[in-house]
Amino acid sequence: MEFEVVAKCPVTNARVSKMKLAHGVTVLPTFMPVATQAAIKGLTPQQVESLGINLILNNTYHLNLRPGIEVLREAGGAHKFQGWNHNLLTDSGGFQLVSLNKFTQITEEGALFESPFDGKPTMLTPEESISIQHAIGADIIMQLDDVVSSLTTGPRVEEAMWRTIRWLDRCIETHEKSGKVDTQNLFAIVQGGLDPKLRDQCVDEMINRKHRVAGYAIGGLSGGEEKDTFWRVIKQCADKLPFDRPRYSMGVGFAEDLLVCVALGVDMADCVFPTRTARFGVALTFKGPLNLRLSKHQAEMQPIDDTCPCPTCSSGTTRAALHHLVTLETVGAHAVTQHNLVFQARLMGRARDAIMNGTFPEYLKTFFADYFGDKGYPEWCVNALRSVGVDLLDGKDNTAVVTGSGAVWDRSE
Amino acid sequence: MSTLNFTIQTAEPLSQFTPRLGRLSLHRHEGPPAQDILTPALITTTSRGIVPHLSRDNVVATSPIAWTQVHFETFLEQTPPVLALHKGSHPLHTFLGYEPEKHILALSLRDPHDGQEMPPNTKEYVTCRCVRGVRRVSPASWRSLVLACKPDVVTALADTPFTPLPHSQKRITKSLERSTAWLADLLKPSQETVPTEHPAVLVQMAGGNEVRARKAFAEGLVERLYGKDQELVSPLQTLDEGIAGYVFDLVPLQLSLAPVAAARVEETVSSSAHERLLKASLAPLPITKPRIVHSARSPHTLLRLIQDIGIDLFDAHFAQRAADIGIALDFTFPAPYSTQTEEQHLALLPRKRENRTDLGHNLFAATYAHDHSCLAACFAGAASFPSISQLSSEFPVCLCGACSPRSYPSWIQHSALDTLPTDVGTFQKPFTRSYIHHLLHTHEMSSHTLLAMHNLTVMEAFLAGVRGVLSKVDGAKLFTEEVTRFHEVYDEHMVVFEEAKVEWASVERARGKGRLQREKPGNTTPLADSTAMSARVSEKGAL
Ligand SMILES: [Zn+2]
Ligand SMILES: [Zn+2]
Repeated sequence: MEFEVVAKCPVTNARVSKMKLAHGVTVLPTFMPVATQAAIKGLTPQQVESLGINLILNNTYHLNLRPGIEVLREAGGAHKFQGWNHNLLTDSGGFQLVSLNKFTQITEEGALFESPFDGKPTMLTPEESISIQHAIGADIIMQLDDVVSSLTTGPRVEEAMWRTIRWLDRCIETHEKSGKVDTQNLFAIVQGGLDPKLRDQCVDEMINRKHRVAGYAIGGLSGGEEKDTFWRVIKQCADKLPFDRPRYSMGVGFAEDLLVCVALGVDMADCVFPTRTARFGVALTFKGPLNLRLSKHQAEMQPIDDTCPCPTCSSGTTRAALHHLVTLETVGAHAVTQHNLVFQARLMGRARDAIMNGTFPEYLKTFFADYFGDKGYPEWCVNALRSVGVDLLDGKDNTAVVTGSGAVWDRSE
Repeated sequence: MSTLNFTIQTAEPLSQFTPRLGRLSLHRHEGPPAQDILTPALITTTSRGIVPHLSRDNVVATSPIAWTQVHFETFLEQTPPVLALHKGSHPLHTFLGYEPEKHILALSLRDPHDGQEMPPNTKEYVTCRCVRGVRRVSPASWRSLVLACKPDVVTALADTPFTPLPHSQKRITKSLERSTAWLADLLKPSQETVPTEHPAVLVQMAGGNEVRARKAFAEGLVERLYGKDQELVSPLQTLDEGIAGYVFDLVPLQLSLAPVAAARVEETVSSSAHERLLKASLAPLPITKPRIVHSARSPHTLLRLIQDIGIDLFDAHFAQRAADIGIALDFTFPAPYSTQTEEQHLALLPRKRENRTDLGHNLFAATYAHDHSCLAACFAGAASFPSISQLSSEFPVCLCGACSPRSYPSWIQHSALDTLPTDVGTFQKPFTRSYIHHLLHTHEMSSHTLLAMHNLTVMEAFLAGVRGVLSKVDGAKLFTEEVTRFHEVYDEHMVVFEEAKVEWASVERARGKGRLQREKPGNTTPLADSTAMSARVSEKGAL
């Protein structure tokens, strides 16, 4: 990997960088759509690349079950299997093991789980996770980490943090021995729960291994913790992580979360949210999400966003037409998915341009004013951005501030 | 007024029931003409107005999609129907995302494939179905809906009963009277002073399973009208003068012939019965108008209808349905010659049963998990050839988005630094059977997208093959030979369809269970946050 920071916001910690991988250059910060089963819901790879997207995520846990490593090896890896010629990232599979399997037990050796095929106890070790990811062949691969819910407290959090570091060492060993270090890049995952002391220790240990890892993810978040805690952990980690390594915040996809993370110095994020919410008929816009299922849209002869370059909006698909299709025809999901992926890409693309032009603080202010308008700004966003020198409320005496997660939804009839 | 010109291009002397080649040209009062269609040709079917599984960009990229059949009834769930609200010169095209230059939109009230029982029609209205239940549409409201949404072609309302059988003589007589009256109603010249787009009118051939009734209905169309009857449709002298083509829906016909087990009837039995009924309708009519059949069951049926009756347009319902249930079609017309060895094919041919080859591959089947070849053995992908000019000379090529995926000529740029790749517009490697097998088993929608594009393209290639043979010297004779050979090579019982349906249903069921598990609220995963949020939104949406 070649990683180069090309611009830094003079106010916040946001930066623009170029990440050159085996399948091309991806400019950061960026959002990565999730193709869990080696397909972005309903779209062909040709459609996805035409949206201006060149880095997507596959889930190791799922691909290991289906189609299985043997098939992927025969096909020459996941890129060829799914016809995706651009950059690809795989997770370690550990997170799904814990979240989708009730009976997974973590031991020092690895994660012991019931095989979904035959119910037999099966072990996923750090070595095994890396070798599966080698077969998949993604440009970025993730270490196996010991995942605990962000709501867990007590000694288990510390245990998981130290084990994650030991597992990182095992992943590094396996990866370096494989001869794949030139084409596949291993990322470490910072754990430590919501405890600042543990996070500090974890980051320090992982920085010690910097010359053997290509980038860092901030894990163990987005699991229902308070947003105010979430951003503080992100900031703490991003502040300490090396400047010359990409930083990846896992499971982040709401627009306001993404921009706050970028301001705190995060470069990459992924989430199923934009594609999943599209299937429920929710279109994302710079003025907040639109629930196209609501009957108020049934006769609206305007696109979701007439400034949007996505195939749905630029071909003039009306909200009324989408209302007629969403949740009843797969084509409705395709159309909203195309739009939502372009929305995420525009959100991040505008951030890149603003950082390059030195106008990122203004971009943040404009975004929050448009997106939350008179509904009120989430307090946690105000606090998080104040911590990096941007006061969203500056000159906004009449803007309300709301506590809680603050996500806006189009739910009034 | 849109006019649909049909010119028969068969050189040989033509009789009432011989195969024929034709060219359909649509001229619109406003706007561009649509691309001509060569017949025998394909009709793409729709659901809720759209081609199932194909987003707008994929519809445009799928060249066989030309004549597209939209049924209005699904739009009746809203009052007024949203289709009738759109303005402009091609509101139906614009609203549904079709291109006037490429797509001829034909509108009918009812879905021709829906054979479910319905409440009776009356003198005043036709009953039809939308997701919110049964709706009634009067001839007057049909006329105004049609004039508002301006399709290129429209089928007049017909009184086709979907009530329990048998239908009495009296009922059939009523059906003829109403269908004739409703046709006349649609043919009435527009009262408006400003000339407006008036679609070309097709007529559904009434008369059920009675030869005499069908004949009587057809004779009524060409009968010279007098007095009030004539004044109504003046300047037309006969109803037929205002008719652009004749439509046969096989579903109600099949129901009336074999009400108990419509789907199970031996094809050969029903086909001769169909043939008799279709011929009874067509015999009194001029041979120069296009003849349209909906819901033909198989390519074998299509060939017989072309050969024995001279049908010109067929819907692709069976091929599109195949995409829903995981089948990749793999056949050609003429059927491959036996001199072609297995090695000349790029991939394994479909399964053989009692010496007859399946029409396609049930990609759900476990055998395809490790089959990394392209979808069809009969077709290569464009990427196997150095240039587009070298295509098809050596081997048929399927230019669908699955066999010959092509990167888009332009990409969206999101920031000044984004660098676009240089290989835009090039053909990529075909998607494989193993990939679609995987997508089917993981319930990914892309599987149906790829199969829909492929199956429509295979059907178009099939009909292009038919046209190719018919255009040869001595075409009719060669065609008969090739039809016989096609029947010898390919399995008509379509067992592979039944097998695929079973597997499709079991994956659907498994998914139902899995989904409950997965989306149970309260699990603390990063996904849970957004799932719960979406669930809340959708609950609100359902209010
Ligand atoms: Zn859009
Ligand atoms: Zn194809």
